[in-house]
Amino acid sequence: MNGRVRPKLASLSDFQFGAVATETIEDVLLHLAQQNEQAVQEAAGRMGSFRETRIVEFVFLLSEQWCLEKSVSYQAVEILERFMVKQAENICRQATTQLREKTEPQNWRALKEQLFNKFILRLVSCVQLASKLSFHYKIISNITVLNFLQALGYIHTKEELLESELDVLKSLNFQINLPTPLAYVEMLLEVLGYNGCSVPATRLHATCLTLLDLVYLLHEPVYESLLRASIENSTPSQLQGEKFVSVKEDFMLLAVGIIAASAFIQNHECWSQVVGHLQSITGIALESIAAFSYAILTHSVGANTPGRQQSVPSHLAARALRATASSNM
Amino acid sequence: MTNHPNFIFQDTMDPRGPAPQPFQRSEKPGRIRRRKTRRERNEALVGSRRPLAHQDQDPPGASQNPPLAVRDPLAPNAPKFMVIAQGRLSRKHRGLFNHEVKSLDVGRLLSSGSLDPGTPVLSTKCSPSPGRAREPTPPPRDKENQVPGGSGPGPPNTPKLPDLGQLLGELQCQLILPQAFPRRNLVQEARDAIMGNLQACHGCVPDLTLVLQPPLSGTKPGGPEKLRMTPSWINIPEQAPGEGRQRRRQETEEFTFAMPHTSSTPTTHREGLAPPKGPWPPLLPSLPSPSGAAWGPPTAFDLLKSIWLVATPPPPCPWGVGAQQPLPQPPSPLFPQTSALDWSPKPPTPQPSLSWVVAQSSPEAWSFPPMRLY
Repeated sequence: MNGRVRPKLASLSDFQFGAVATETIEDVLLHLAQQNEQAVQEAAGRMGSFRETRIVEFVFLLSEQWCLEKSVSYQAVEILERFMVKQAENICRQATTQLREKTEPQNWRALKEQLFNKFILRLVSCVQLASKLSFHYKIISNITVLNFLQALGYIHTKEELLESELDVLKSLNFQINLPTPLAYVEMLLEVLGYNGCSVPATRLHATCLTLLDLVYLLHEPVYESLLRASIENSTPSQLQGEKFVSVKEDFMLLAVGIIAASAFIQNHECWSQVVGHLQSITGIALESIAAFSYAILTHSVGANTPGRQQSVPSHLAARALRATASSNM
Repeated sequence: MTNHPNFIFQDTMDPRGPAPQPFQRSEKPGRIRRRKTRRERNEALVGSRRPLAHQDQDPPGASQNPPLAVRDPLAPNAPKFMVIAQGRLSRKHRGLFNHEVKSLDVGRLLSSGSLDPGTPVLSTKCSPSPGRAREPTPPPRDKENQVPGGSGPGPPNTPKLPDLGQLLGELQCQLILPQAFPRRNLVQEARDAIMGNLQACHGCVPDLTLVLQPPLSGTKPGGPEKLRMTPSWINIPEQAPGEGRQRRRQETEEFTFAMPHTSSTPTTHREGLAPPKGPWPPLLPSLPSPSGAAWGPPTAFDLLKSIWLVATPPPPCPWGVGAQQPLPQPPSPLFPQTSALDWSPKPPTPQPSLSWVVAQSSPEAWSFPPMRLY
């Protein structure tokens, strides 16, 4: 499977900003804000996540191989995560019920094994479903999926593939049109352009995609850095980690952090203007945007910058976060 | 661990003391689950005490409150109380909260003590108030986390129930993915792309801490007003204090016809950003904001930070006057007065928010509601 020519994703030149009516942008932006607010509220009770670098990378590379849009790969990750969380919840619930009813307890590890065995099938089903939400002419056919699985040594029938899709759909109650941060990024870029922010939107968009890939791939480390910054670099407690789940679901915050980091990479000088516009559009505090973009940037340069400090400098972070706290009280 | 649950049992399970002990002693340890309900214990209590009272010829009040001398022989050791309380706790809530039995106490969750970073997440809370007298005071965490299958009185070798977060973590770690895309490392590829961008745009990797500096260098977070927003490391031509506002108003008026000449920095051309064709409303930043500092509900991130950092409010003037001073709040029905909650220093001479001023002078009322945005 390696060595073949890597198909390219959709050309970035296909993207065009400033072509949508203002009323549409306004409506979509409002809708995204409301959707985000709801997602943040619902995430408060969530107990775990399923975003590991290898899994996200697999989905991304598979989407790349199948010439899918970036939005499809993000959506596939979102669908897969929610499906896996649902499956894990089912395992926990099933084990609890069996124990309460004193029936013959089926070892929950056996349930876990079942999940393991079907994981690749579920993964490709999630990608296939996400492709069906995108352009109809880019839908991944069953033959393509079966060939891919067969090349990896997984022999499945078409019926099993359809059942797997149906399992995912039923598990998620057929609600798989999940929002992705890319929609927020693109919409904010559009609004930035209309608001007179002198940013090279297309170049920013390309950098945003790379940064968003990185945040998806390094989801836990990036948010761990953000969590540590919010508590002044001390060790977070379990409760703080649980409370922070809602922050992880805040796509608006993620989008402004991505755009700000992208603007910093592209141009120092437009960066301050972009951040100011982002703050005014979303109402997110400047310090929060700065803290998030800093976390993204430090993980973006990663090991390529030897000796560079990876965590937020304590004195800067503390001051910035105190300022945020005071401004939001 | 051995002494503490004794109080738990006496205080929370049965205020009449160790009366269930005869029943408990008659049971085998493996069958202690039969006494998990209070009704069963009460029935056992009634059934066992009356004969005892008759046999021992105790006064009538003795059965209600037996003296300590009587109680001690019936409860020779404390761990038996602990076993009852532990079994009840773990069975009642197992599966729902697993190891987090104490999470039922919402008040404790929201208390500042548990949110402090240094405080243990699950601390034992002693509640002497009568209202909480019947609440089970949780035993130490290690004991509480045990399901009856362990060393407790439940059925032996019961598998420990999985915690959802733990299960998801295990799933992620133990998952074996096929080597479908060898020699691909997307993290490294993305980092290389970013580094290439940085090299191309800056010639080197810039100091990333610059990102954190703008709000700290006299910048007021009140909309994209360039003079205040632009950090000190950006070299821009100086403007007179009134000039910026005037220019901004001019920009707003001209916006629908031409690209704004907002940037006093070297102009960057917008690639692919076509000029608005229709009359786009004035800038979103020019919303009728009551305050430039915080003009909408804080994000979850801001809320958590404000909670976690509330114990260490900033000193009166930590980073210079004017850096984070609250701006005056023009009357707006959308925004409550939050000055009572703000522990930042009051400004000596309040200045109206520039974005609010711009909004007032805007030729076209922009009805975008900021509160709904965020």
